[in-house]
Amino acid sequence: MRITKISGVLATLLVASVASVALPTARAASAALTPSPPGAQEYIIWPSDGTVIYGGKLWVRMGLRNMGVCPKGANVPNTGHHHLLIDTDLPPLDQEIPSDRQHLHFGAGETDARIELPPGKHTLQLLLGDYNHVPHSPPVYSKKITIIVK
Amino acid sequence: MNRILAPALLAAALSGLAWAGTTPAPRDAIAYIGYPNDGQVVPANKPFRVWFGLRYMGVAPKGVKYPNTGHHHLLIDTDLPPMDQEIPSDRQHLHFGAGETETMIELPPGKHTLQMLMGDDKHVPTDPPVYSKKITVIAR
Repeated sequence: MRITKISGVLATLLVASVASVALPTARAASAALTPSPPGAQEYIIWPSDGTVIYGGKLWVRMGLRNMGVCPKGANVPNTGHHHLLIDTDLPPLDQEIPSDRQHLHFGAGETDARIELPPGKHTLQLLLGDYNHVPHSPPVYSKKITIIVK
Repeated sequence: MNRILAPALLAAALSGLAWAGTTPAPRDAIAYIGYPNDGQVVPANKPFRVWFGLRYMGVAPKGVKYPNTGHHHLLIDTDLPPMDQEIPSDRQHLHFGAGETETMIELPPGKHTLQMLMGDDKHVPTDPPVYSKKITVIAR
């Protein structure tokens, strides 16, 4: 009985120490980002900066140079998948890219995105994520462009 | 009527067997060449960029099996290869197995054709095969 209690305490201590070790490890892991190759460049092929879109529906053509596209979950060197940021700034570059209406994920390896936007000025920017949706090191992202929907 | 139709159907079914690989692709998938345009003049013996386009389908490097994906192959001055076999790999059939979505190529002076063909994780065309229109460029 006493032994069980002690071992229980030990187990708790062990768990606590593992947890305290695990936290810094998780931070260290997020610092170990997936490397991107030199010369990697992401850009919006279309639309170009300042384009006026009538009706609000458009295809965004996503461009990537000196790197390849790969669906989420598959860890292949020098690849990533596109994320389209709409009306928002770049998210933290050492964390998983949020997934919401302003951060569209193309985890199936898509290179053309069909989107619909309400009338007004909008910004578009691409950010490449690795197999875990985390940006690379150095991060690979496009210029932020503005389009006008009428 | 049936006597005429039956062999025709049988022939269609048999040719259907060899018409594609075994990896399914979305029925509405479209591969296209984003640049250059059909009939465009490009500089001869100088690298120019070719943009690969793909809709309703995704890109995955060779060896990666993921539903509704494939990788691009650029066919230069050649017709489509057999659709149920691995796409040849030579100077007329460029493979982009690292998931590339654009490339630079160089062509000698004259008329040339370009066409995209998607291959699965093993470089075999999909079912249905996904390929672009064949375009002509003039290198000058």
